[in-house]
Amino acid sequence: MKRAAAVITFLLALLPVFGQAPVRTENLIYSVLAFNGRDYSPTFVRAASGTIYLIAGVDNFLTVRKTLVYFWPLTGEWKTDTDSLNVPFDGTLEVTGRRGTTVPVILSRYTYFNERGEYELNWKVARDAEADRVWAHWAQIMDAYQAAMKDYRERVAKQGAERSSLIARIQSLRNAGKDVTALVDRLSNMLELEAPQPPQDYVVPPAEIQQAFILNLPRGEYSLRLRNPDGSIMEGSEKTLAVHEKRRSRGIGFEVIPGDKWTRPVESSTPSAVLYVDGSSDLYLRPYFEDEYNDLFYAKTIRNDDRGNPNLMKWERIQQVPRAEIQLTGAGPGATLIREEPWFVEQGQGATLGYKIVPYDPQGAQKGKDPSLIAFRIPLGRGSPVVGLQALDSAGKPLSGSARQIRVLAPPPAEIVLPLLALVPLAAMVLVIVGRARRHRRS
Amino acid sequence: MSDRARAARIIAKRQVFEALISPGLYIALVVGLFLGYFLVSGFSRAVDSSGFNPQLHPLYDLIARALEGAFGKTFVDSLFAEGPLPFAFAVSFLPAFLYIAVSSVFKFGLEKNAGAVELVAYGPADGTSYLIASYVKDLFLVLLAIIVIVAFMVAAAAFYNYVAGPELFLTALVAFFLSLALFAYGVLASMLTGNASSSLALFVGIIAFFLVVLFGSFAIVGEYVRNLSTVVASAVQWISPFFYGNLSLKANAAGDSLGFFGGLALLVVLSGVILAASHFIIRARGVRA
Repeated sequence: MKRAAAVITFLLALLPVFGQAPVRTENLIYSVLAFNGRDYSPTFVRAASGTIYLIAGVDNFLTVRKTLVYFWPLTGEWKTDTDSLNVPFDGTLEVTGRRGTTVPVILSRYTYFNERGEYELNWKVARDAEADRVWAHWAQIMDAYQAAMKDYRERVAKQGAERSSLIARIQSLRNAGKDVTALVDRLSNMLELEAPQPPQDYVVPPAEIQQAFILNLPRGEYSLRLRNPDGSIMEGSEKTLAVHEKRRSRGIGFEVIPGDKWTRPVESSTPSAVLYVDGSSDLYLRPYFEDEYNDLFYAKTIRNDDRGNPNLMKWERIQQVPRAEIQLTGAGPGATLIREEPWFVEQGQGATLGYKIVPYDPQGAQKGKDPSLIAFRIPLGRGSPVVGLQALDSAGKPLSGSARQIRVLAPPPAEIVLPLLALVPLAAMVLVIVGRARRHRRS
Repeated sequence: MSDRARAARIIAKRQVFEALISPGLYIALVVGLFLGYFLVSGFSRAVDSSGFNPQLHPLYDLIARALEGAFGKTFVDSLFAEGPLPFAFAVSFLPAFLYIAVSSVFKFGLEKNAGAVELVAYGPADGTSYLIASYVKDLFLVLLAIIVIVAFMVAAAAFYNYVAGPELFLTALVAFFLSLALFAYGVLASMLTGNASSSLALFVGIIAFFLVVLFGSFAIVGEYVRNLSTVVASAVQWISPFFYGNLSLKANAAGDSLGFFGGLALLVVLSGVILAASHFIIRARGVRA
C-alpha cells in the first residue's frame, strides 16, 4: 500500500514536467486588419497594450471583441483563443484627434481583394452594396470554375472507364490471337483532357463579407473608445491610435539569393549598403521597390506585441520592379547589361548532397516543369573584387537609390601587416622618448 | 591678437608638447587600434556566400546579440550596412577620447589645486586663457587621434577590400564635434569643483547621465519606460551633446545634409555656451582652488 502511494506521489510530482496549457485570460481586444504597404496583416491589441498602430491614408479594419488571450512561449507571441470565447461588440467607435474633434465611426460591411494587374499592388476595398456586388461576382466566377471542374472530372472519369474497357478488349483479343492494331491506335490517340484554369481575375480573391469599423485617417495621434448602443462607454476600450506614414518611398532594394543557399535569400535594403561576400558562389538578385517607415510603428502595425526602435527608420519591401534590367560594372571588361532569366535547381545525383542552378530549358531537360527561380545572375569570383550594379527601369533609365557594390572579400596576403600598423603610435612614442633622452644627454 | 589669445596659444603649445612627450596618448591609441583591428579582421570571417552573418564569428555574434537586444535588428543592420569601419572607428576612438578627456580634467583640477593656475594668473595670463588653452590642447590631441585612426581604417579597407565610404568619414566628423562639447563639459567640471578627483567625478557623472538619457530614449524598452525617458529626455536633451550628435546621424540617414551640418553647428553653439559659462565661473570664483 505504502509502495503504491509512493509511486502515485512520484507520478504526480512528474506532472509539471509534461506539457502545460498556457494560462488563458479574458480580454477586451481590438482585432485589427491593417494595411502594411503591400498587403493586409491581421493582428490584435490586448488590454495591456495601450496603442494601436495604423498606416495613414488607407482603409484599416477594426473590431472590438471579448476573447481569451494567452502567451505562447515557443514563439514569444501573444495569441487569441477565439474558439473558446469570441464575442464581438456593436456600437460606435469614437476617434478623437489632438484638436478635440471627435469623429464617430459605425460598423460597415466590407470585403477586400487584390486584382491582378501589371503591378502586385492593386488592393481594393468594397463596402456595403458594392461589397455584395463584388462578393456575388466572385461567387459567380467560383461557381463557373467549380462547374467546369465538375465537368472535367466527369470527362476524366468517362475517359478513364473507356480506356480501361479498351485495354481489357485489347487484352482479350490479343489472347485470342486477333489483330488489335485499330484498338491500340485508338487507345494511343486518346487525348489528355485539359483541366480548366483557376480564376485569374484576382491575386487575392475577395474575402468573405465581414463587419468592422473602417478607419482611413491622416497622420497623427488620436484617442479611441467604443460607445455602446446604450450610450455608455465600453470599459477598457480606450486606446491611443498612432497613425503613421512612410518617410520616403520608391527606394530600391534587392533580394539576394546565393547560389549555394538558394532557399535562404537575404535582403539588401539600405541604399548605401555594401554587399560583402566570400565569392564562393554566384548571386541571383531580384530588385524590388521599398518604402521607408518608422521601425517601431511598422513592426507594431504588423504585430502589435512586436518590438522595434522608435528612433530608427527601416526600408520595407513593397513589390517587385517590373521589367527591370541590371547594369554591371567590374565583373568583366566594361559595363554589362543583364536581364532577368528563369533558372532551375537540379539536385545532385547519387549519394552526394547539394544541387546546382542551371538555365531553365522548358523545351529540353526541364520540359513540363516550372522554373525554380526567376532572377538576375551576378557572376562572382576572386578575380572581380568589386562589382558595381545599378537597376534600370523598363525604359533603360537608372532607378534612383539602386546603385550597390558587391565586394568579394579574400584573406589578405600578409595578415601581420595590420597589427604592425596598429603598433605605429608605440613606435612613435619610443622615438620621442629616445630622442628626448639623447637631447638630455647632450645637454 | 589679444593678450589673452596670445597667452592661451603659448600655454596650449606647452600643454600639447607635454602631452606628446608622455606615453599615455600613444598607449591609448595602440589599445584603440588593436580593438579596431580585431573588429576589422573579425568582420571578414563573419562573411559567407550570402553576406555578413554575425553568427559566423564569436566576437560579432556577441556584439550583434548585445546591440540587437538593446537597440533592435534595424540598428545592427544599419550599423554594418557600409561595412565594419564606422563601428570599428567608434570603438578605436573611445580609449583615446577617454584618455584625453579624463587626463585633461584631472590635470586641470590638479594644477588648480597646486596653485599652478594661480601662478600663471599673476603673470600675463588669466584663468580664462588657461581654460581656453586646456580646451585647445584637447581639441588638437583629439584631432590627431582621429586622423591616426581614420588613416588606420583606410589602410584596413585597402587591405581587406572594405569600403572606406562616407559613413566612416561622417562618423569621424561627428566624433570630433561631439568631443568639442564633451571637452567643454570637462572644462566646466574643472571650474565648478575644488580638486582633481571631484572634477573627474563630476565630469564622469555628467557624461554618464547624458548617456543614460540617450540610452533610455534610444533603446528598445517597454511603453511605460519609453514614455518616461522621452519626457526626461525632452527636458534635458537640449544640453546633451549626444542629442545633437544623434540628430546629425539621423539627418544623415535621412539624406538631409542641412540637418546633418545643423546638428554639428548646434554642437559648436553648445560648446560655446558651456565655455562661456566656465569663463564667468572662473571670473567670479577666481583661479584659487
